[in-house]
Amino acid sequence: MIKRTLFFGNPAYLSTKNEQLLVSFPDDKPDRTVPIEDIGMLVLENQQITITNGLLCKLTARKVAVVSCNAQHLPNSLLLPMQGHTEQTERVRYQLEASQPLKKNLWQQTVSAKIKNQYSLLKEKGKESKRMEYLYKNVSSGDSGNNEAQAAAIYWQALFDIPDFNRGQNGIPPNNLLNYGYAILRAVIARALVSSGMLPGVGIWHRNKYNAYCLADDIMEPYRPYVDLVVAFIVENNDDIDELTTELKKELLAIPALDVMIDGQKSPLMVAASRTSSSLFECFAGIRRKIVYPDYG
Amino acid sequence: MDEKFFSRLNQYRTLWVLVFFDLPTETKKDRKIATSFRKKLLDDGFAMFQFSIYTRFCASRENADVHIRRTKMNLPPKGKVGIMSITDKQFGMMEIFYGKKVVEQEKPSQQLELF
Repeated sequence: MIKRTLFFGNPAYLSTKNEQLLVSFPDDKPDRTVPIEDIGMLVLENQQITITNGLLCKLTARKVAVVSCNAQHLPNSLLLPMQGHTEQTERVRYQLEASQPLKKNLWQQTVSAKIKNQYSLLKEKGKESKRMEYLYKNVSSGDSGNNEAQAAAIYWQALFDIPDFNRGQNGIPPNNLLNYGYAILRAVIARALVSSGMLPGVGIWHRNKYNAYCLADDIMEPYRPYVDLVVAFIVENNDDIDELTTELKKELLAIPALDVMIDGQKSPLMVAASRTSSSLFECFAGIRRKIVYPDYG
Repeated sequence: MDEKFFSRLNQYRTLWVLVFFDLPTETKKDRKIATSFRKKLLDDGFAMFQFSIYTRFCASRENADVHIRRTKMNLPPKGKVGIMSITDKQFGMMEIFYGKKVVEQEKPSQQLELF
């Protein structure tokens, strides 16, 4: 089921009582409680938040992705349980023993699904590109033709009506919105992977030794266009996007609840992420050959 | 974002589960059983609406079934217990008063909540 996202932008004291998350405020506002098992993601943004260890343990036991933000209000860390699945060790072994050809095949599927979703998003916005269609239909094993980058070059130029827009960590807005949205998405995907008993650090393609979430970065690729959709929506409806206000964050934090089509069924993105991660495990275990990705078109 | 992107979570799909109970409190043992039933409801995420009426918000029918099943497993040996689930839309139409004064309906839990 879809889990709830809680965002803490104000000072608060977080503890636990009766298997609930208990929120106490420094002013006279009454306490609030939230069932821990209903929570999927907790974003701790304010620097004046105190959280008890008892609560942290209960949150991780329920596989809540706890995201804490730095003084610049940007997502900084992601807390996940050591043990995410009862068969964790066996599942990790399948993941680690996956052959190179299998990984290349999985990466091919991933890139193809990503470009297809990018293409569909552009098409919906009336900015169709025949070249993109060619690119997603002709991804080679391991994406040796680097179709991903070719598609990205076309995609980012076409998506926003901003001259010389380039996607980059420190680029001009709406890069700030994209960074935030992807951080949320990454937390959702990493949470799903851990729940399926996999190591989010060992990727199928990404292998940067400084990256702790290589697999999450692989698997989130076909989901990125959904973040882009939300960001494009914000850009079209807001004059000022230079600053990441709470209002804008609210829009971005709705991403886990966004409807996506997966396997012919409409479901919230967070639920779809679990479908994807369990199908990925089945690919590693040799039970199936295709990862289930959402289809924007 | 547009409503159409969030159709899976509208107010007709989300439910409230209500548990009403009248439990005997004559003997010490009865009181202990009644307290434990109440405690288990609290642990399961129910909140007191009135004495012996507890409510819980559930994001889907499947989720509501889970909590109804759990409540059934915890039923005390004696006393009357009612379990009902209604849509968020219906729950939201409830009118609440303190004396003759109308009070604001408690807001349903949101999928996204900002504190």
